[in-house]
Amino acid sequence: MALAESTRKKVRPIGLLLFRHETILLLVLVGEWLYFNAVGRRFGTPDNTFDIMRHSAEIGLLALVMTPIILTGGIDLSVGSLLGLCAILFGKLWRDGGLSLPVAAGCTLLIGACAGGLNAALIARLRLPALIVTLGTYSLFRGFAEAITRGVDTFTNFPDSFLALGQNRFAGLPAQVWFFLPVAIGIWMLVHRTSFGRSFRAIGFVPDGARFAGLPVERRVALVYVLAGLVAALAAIIYTARLGQAKADAGTGYELFAITAVVLGGTSIFGGVGSVHGTLLGVAAIAVLNNGLVHARQPREVAGMLTGALLLAALGASEIPKLLARMRAPRHGAAPPLSPNNPS
Amino acid sequence: MRKYSRELTVAGVLCVLLLALAITAPAFYEPQPLLSRLAREAPTLILACGIALVMVSRQIDISIGSLFAVSSVCAGLLAAAGWPLAAVLGITVLFGAGLGAVNGALVAGLRLPSIVVTLATMVILREGLRWQQQGAFINLPDSWQWFGLSQRGGQITLISCALLALFALAWASRNFAGIRFLYAVGSNAEAARLAGLRPQWMTFAVFVFMGALAGGAALMNVVQSPQVDPKSGTGLELKAIAAAVVGGVAVSGGRGNLWGVFAGVLLLASINPALTYLHVEAYWEKAIQGAVILLAVVFDGLRNQREIS
Amino acid sequence: MAPLLQLHNLTKSFGAVRALRGVSFDLQPGEVHALLGENGAGKSTLIKVITGAHAPDDGTMEIEGHAVAHLSPARARSLGIACIYQQPALFPDLSVAENIGLRLEKSSPAHLVPWAERRERARTLLDRIGGEIDPTAEVRTLSMPEQQLVEIVCALGAGARIVIMDEPTASLTQKEQHLLFAVVRDLRAHGVGVIYISHRLEEIFALADRVTVLRDGQTVGTNRVDEIDETAMIRMMVGREVTLIHPPPQNAPGEGVLALAGVGCAASGVRGIDLEVRAGEVVGLAGLVGAGRTELAQTIFGLTPADAGEIKLSGQRVRIDSPRAAVEQGIAYVPEDRRRHGVILEMPIAANVTMAIHSRIFPGGWLRSAVERKLTLDFMRDLGVKAAGPEAPGGSLSGGNQQKIALARWLATKPRVLILDEPTQGVDIGAKSEIYKIIRQLAAEGLAVLMISSDLPEVLGMSDRILVMRGGTIVAEFPRGAEAHEVMAAALGQKQQEAA
Repeated sequence: MALAESTRKKVRPIGLLLFRHETILLLVLVGEWLYFNAVGRRFGTPDNTFDIMRHSAEIGLLALVMTPIILTGGIDLSVGSLLGLCAILFGKLWRDGGLSLPVAAGCTLLIGACAGGLNAALIARLRLPALIVTLGTYSLFRGFAEAITRGVDTFTNFPDSFLALGQNRFAGLPAQVWFFLPVAIGIWMLVHRTSFGRSFRAIGFVPDGARFAGLPVERRVALVYVLAGLVAALAAIIYTARLGQAKADAGTGYELFAITAVVLGGTSIFGGVGSVHGTLLGVAAIAVLNNGLVHARQPREVAGMLTGALLLAALGASEIPKLLARMRAPRHGAAPPLSPNNPS
Repeated sequence: MRKYSRELTVAGVLCVLLLALAITAPAFYEPQPLLSRLAREAPTLILACGIALVMVSRQIDISIGSLFAVSSVCAGLLAAAGWPLAAVLGITVLFGAGLGAVNGALVAGLRLPSIVVTLATMVILREGLRWQQQGAFINLPDSWQWFGLSQRGGQITLISCALLALFALAWASRNFAGIRFLYAVGSNAEAARLAGLRPQWMTFAVFVFMGALAGGAALMNVVQSPQVDPKSGTGLELKAIAAAVVGGVAVSGGRGNLWGVFAGVLLLASINPALTYLHVEAYWEKAIQGAVILLAVVFDGLRNQREIS
Repeated sequence: MAPLLQLHNLTKSFGAVRALRGVSFDLQPGEVHALLGENGAGKSTLIKVITGAHAPDDGTMEIEGHAVAHLSPARARSLGIACIYQQPALFPDLSVAENIGLRLEKSSPAHLVPWAERRERARTLLDRIGGEIDPTAEVRTLSMPEQQLVEIVCALGAGARIVIMDEPTASLTQKEQHLLFAVVRDLRAHGVGVIYISHRLEEIFALADRVTVLRDGQTVGTNRVDEIDETAMIRMMVGREVTLIHPPPQNAPGEGVLALAGVGCAASGVRGIDLEVRAGEVVGLAGLVGAGRTELAQTIFGLTPADAGEIKLSGQRVRIDSPRAAVEQGIAYVPEDRRRHGVILEMPIAANVTMAIHSRIFPGGWLRSAVERKLTLDFMRDLGVKAAGPEAPGGSLSGGNQQKIALARWLATKPRVLILDEPTQGVDIGAKSEIYKIIRQLAAEGLAVLMISSDLPEVLGMSDRILVMRGGTIVAEFPRGAEAHEVMAAALGQKQQEAA
């Protein structure tokens, strides 16, 4: 418990900000819930809550695994495309390859990890910029999905036992929650309770400093991208179960939602600062917003716009005081703050 | 010569591709389809030039696809309401510039990271447009098609405009101090500040300029069909960024020139038709596009490592 | 004729550290005035005050007879003050001509670039300094010395009246040095005043008209170069009352722990290193900036692995090709750049302390907060770290306490060899004494300590043996009890005089 406390109060001056960010997000979430409860007709029902969970499981998974990536100061734009590719390959392995569903699923997970490995090799090993590499794989993975399906092929007619994973309940909750929870707990543990998570932050704050401390920077960075591939594959399987079909356009745009949820949740795009529970709050806030607006009979585009606006507000909130301070400071001549390291 | 090795490599690959096509699929060079393809790529070229300048100043703008779509609809609505061409052009460009200014204010003024800012504005614009249009196409008056010229005439005009813009921008990026300042800011923002180049204002300006170019590109797109599709521009930011990267523009700023971008646009635009004419299934286009980007970036990375050691 | 620059009694403190304690200095037109002093004597602070980067706490400044207050970097530039730093503020992706142009031309964006004029000016300026720098070359392809020459050219072009050069020849070849001297003489002939900071006495004698020696933030003396000799200059630099207590060694050193034979690393310029550090011994590594000491430490630590010679630990030959390998072998390195490499300021003290021992203290990878906290508290107590608690961020500590945490991180690895790089740089006197006690205690416990320091009294007081590096290799060794001027002379490359 002492550690839970100190984890949150971890970094004092920035702690105030994080603390503020997460509680504000929590307040936003609660506010959304109350509002939609009052305005929407069937909003607060358990059925609807389960719907929310069902629809946000895949994006939630991607957002979860995006968090350690952004903590190390990187980014992965290819997770949505990889979801699509894995969904297709899953379908193909099962339908055309004749593999049983569990075996096909296992192979898909492996393929996802390998695809993540491609990102890992280019970003961690060759030290290429993550933005452009994952932009390239974003295209590559989606392209493979389209090529394999010739743009039209769809995989359907999955057995009901499989579809149950995405559409039915299990022990009172939607089945995919039982996949989501272990991953959420696992990634939370990884980031907040293991030395790996520590090293992610160190790499995000000062990559050279991490190297000087003897941390295996390349290995850690490679890990997060491989993990992303693995989780994207899992999300693909759940997606297919939920929709009952696998198409090449599966997961289009999901990476952007994932990044939005992560940044909304208080993780800095520059790395080092952030939390997995913040990401979960971010996913929840977006999911509830989307769902609630439907119940309030608002067009779904409003949800998208509000999400974007929320993201800007979350980012801007901490910067506006700084802007005002800059505008008030004397134009020139302000001596740079001194480091005691270099007095002469 | 060595300084332009990157751009020359791309040009070389393009030439090889074109040559291969000339030999194996000369139908590729049939004038009318070729003109159509080139005209369709004209807006992409404009966008790619703009995003190249944004990247040169060490920023990124992934909202240009949405900027393009919103500007197209704006132009379409004005055209449908009977406004004359010149006015529509002016207003659309100003509108795009205004939207770009929002990006610029957030990035330069609030010092927010451009990837996240333009992600947010992209979503806001896209969803806002979808809400407003509800997928409805806008029918354009006949006089708008191809500027009122014949199809061929219109296409030639478009291509000429795009090339003119390219030449002007390429010339400006060499001779106009403002654009050289962008290179300086992207190369070393702190040194730029010390030299009095005002990096924040330059950053603001480049986003405004990007928006204006998106407006212009939108208009070039609008005259090519009888209707405006509110979903136009989907995936255009990727094409533009890909063309810039392939053409040698570095994400880290300070390097790249527009001739390379031109070669990049042509190369990427040739992939799909090349596939068609070589009887390869067109579905491979995206995959090949991705592979080309990766190759370009790996090539740059290896070259940098060699330079350092 | 009014002096170009006149400084009276400048004082500047940073917290508890008094960097300048009443410095007076003047610069005449057409003069090369050398500024001499050890690292930490106050030279950099003085320069920063002159260029407007820092405002002095007290004292006055006059430029060409006019009093100047509230100086800013922009204003200093407009008044004709230019400084050539060791880290040039250039645009690496742009050409030399463009770099010069951007610095010198007007800064409004709405004009056409006068390329012809730019090339012409670049050529003229580059010819003036006689360099063979191609004006069309991208700055990133230039070597560091060439980049410095470009900076000098910018200063020339800006018509600076006061040019400050901070160790300009630190990494220049002979030929480039001659070019630089010619440039400096040219400036002098044009009535420009040059403040020339250098450790190389031969340069000062060759180039300067007057020399001012700083020590501990005070002016020790200003003399005409032809009225003073090397010995006197060195004595002015190093003589001081010893106010710090350096605990003496307790036992005789034990077995050899670290042994280097012929070690070199081409990439960092280190070559032919033979040294040995024994258990319980503190070996001081002295030398000037650029001598290669940090490079040597980083080679031993695996950041820039050795490509020549062999490294032995307790007689066993080892291959160290990464920091991880070094740590596994029991080598620890507390880096020079504390704020970027020694401590991660944004992370809590506890995280910093355990940063290098994850595999040991967190078996299986799981964080163990109780163990971590206890370890951190123990270190904080043993090293006397004053902080709000183990969760406080590294950035909330003073310099001295940060250094202790950086040290704690490496002590936690239970090393056999501890390399300290400028352990008390930027640390106040009280913390310095504490750190010295700690170092001596560590040695008494059997650690082999290699201490890099530019603080002569520190090196003399703490070391059991002193090695001096110059130009990437070890040039001298002194026993405990050596005199300051001997060590300084070796660092400067002076030929030893008969019993001084």
